[in-house]
Amino acid sequence: MEHRHQVIVIGGGPAGLNAAKYAANAGCEVALLDSAPRLGGQYWRHTGIESDDQSRHHNFDQGSLLMDAVIANPRITIYPNTTIWSASVINGEVVLRCQDGAFITSRLILATGAYDRSLPFPGWDIPGVMTAGAAQSLLKGQGVIAGKRIVVAGSGPFLLPVASGITSHGGKVVGVIEAAGRFAWLPEILTLLQNPAKISEGLGYILTLRKAKVEMGFKQAVVAAHAGSDGLLESITVANIDAEFHTTSTYSIKCDVAAIGWGFTPDTSVAGALGLKEEVAVDGSVVVAVDENQRASSAHSELHIFAAGEITGIGGSGLSLAEGAIAGLAAAGSRSNLRELKKLRRKAKRFALTLQRVYSIPEGWQRWLTPETIICRCEEVNYGAIQDVSEKFGADDARSAKLMTRCGMGMCQGRICSRNVADLLNSPDSDRIKGVYRPIITPITLGELARDGLL
Amino acid sequence: MITFTFNGVELTAREGQSVAAALIAHNERISRLTRISGKPRGIFCGIGVCFDCLIIIDGKPNQRSCITEVKEGMVVVAQDGA
Repeated sequence: MEHRHQVIVIGGGPAGLNAAKYAANAGCEVALLDSAPRLGGQYWRHTGIESDDQSRHHNFDQGSLLMDAVIANPRITIYPNTTIWSASVINGEVVLRCQDGAFITSRLILATGAYDRSLPFPGWDIPGVMTAGAAQSLLKGQGVIAGKRIVVAGSGPFLLPVASGITSHGGKVVGVIEAAGRFAWLPEILTLLQNPAKISEGLGYILTLRKAKVEMGFKQAVVAAHAGSDGLLESITVANIDAEFHTTSTYSIKCDVAAIGWGFTPDTSVAGALGLKEEVAVDGSVVVAVDENQRASSAHSELHIFAAGEITGIGGSGLSLAEGAIAGLAAAGSRSNLRELKKLRRKAKRFALTLQRVYSIPEGWQRWLTPETIICRCEEVNYGAIQDVSEKFGADDARSAKLMTRCGMGMCQGRICSRNVADLLNSPDSDRIKGVYRPIITPITLGELARDGLL
Repeated sequence: MITFTFNGVELTAREGQSVAAALIAHNERISRLTRISGKPRGIFCGIGVCFDCLIIIDGKPNQRSCITEVKEGMVVVAQDGA
């Protein structure tokens, strides 16, 4: 089945919701596609059960107002559970294929968001080790506490809402392990103070953790995980580290869940498939390059393709909302004044870049690896194998390493490992951008391809 | 409440919950064994990105348990090799 729409927005998180709302209010007929059953994205996750307490959420009121407005808007058609597996330009239009046919438009807004960045370490494949985002989605989206004794670790401000959410809903957090120093933010205090709402949000989380007497470790990292005889996580090794991630001493914590997040990686799969211009951001992630109206750069200049939110650089919900609004208005060809929105965007961007500086991840995590440490989880390729092909066969880019070891060729198509492999091989930016290119965005069966007449 | 089975054992879940969440709520943490080394894996990214939580649902293998909603009478089995 073919669905044609004036404007198509991919992604129902803060950026996509606002883009759809602004484009529709500017007079356009809009389709909003999301792979999840419910709107809200990773940020405004909710159980979808009305009687449920959604206070697991910071800022949920703002989210539910926006979601209600989008659902009620007669110009917006919402397509939940819609996973796009291919995106291409055919006859001057964007064609997006999903399980029940194709979506076609000449004005596209990408707001595909981000997922946790994971760093490998010995034992990170043991059940019980998960991303901080996984623990958060279990709590916010499912009402389930991830385990009985939970360690929240990694780096960045996201660790605080995860740990405090678990604590305030009756879960036991046995440690919050942050790689940055306790006062790492101090040199940036002036920029941070310009965003008092964010500061008070952070203080709220810290207060919750203090009250629950949760131990917080700084300049520390989880460097190994250990399984019990049942194969499940039993304990972790925590290292005291310096600014370059050298280990000075270690200790262990008994836990059944280690929820670890090292910031986020933008999901640029659809943008990459469309051949949009990408670049490497200051935090090392590959992002979609956009102009001041959030317009992406495409070889097909007749197309109007925009990108908003985390895929243009990790920045949080405030920045995503501002970018979404600008993209929505620009896609609609609206002549309304964008000055206020751009001012908001500038301020949120400055804050985001400051946090990226404070919680930047240095090279150095490589020292935690042993030859047996899994790097590619899907194909079970270990560090030794990658070192081997790099040293013996001169594989100095992700593609050669992939062809020789299969790293990045598994089901997740390198979403988890490609950035780490690029770091291990010291790949240049051009390789990092190539490393996230996937012609088939989501694995599909040959049957699905055949049904669409593409075989 | 919904009833489903995991590896032949009857378990309960809340309506709208993912298969992975329903299993975690019962402290069931292994969704599959890897096809090369046979090691156990469970939920990792929780949002459908990593494909670590693959599981057999109603006879269909390679289903992402973290983004599949549990349904009444569902037959869920840990997958050996994926």
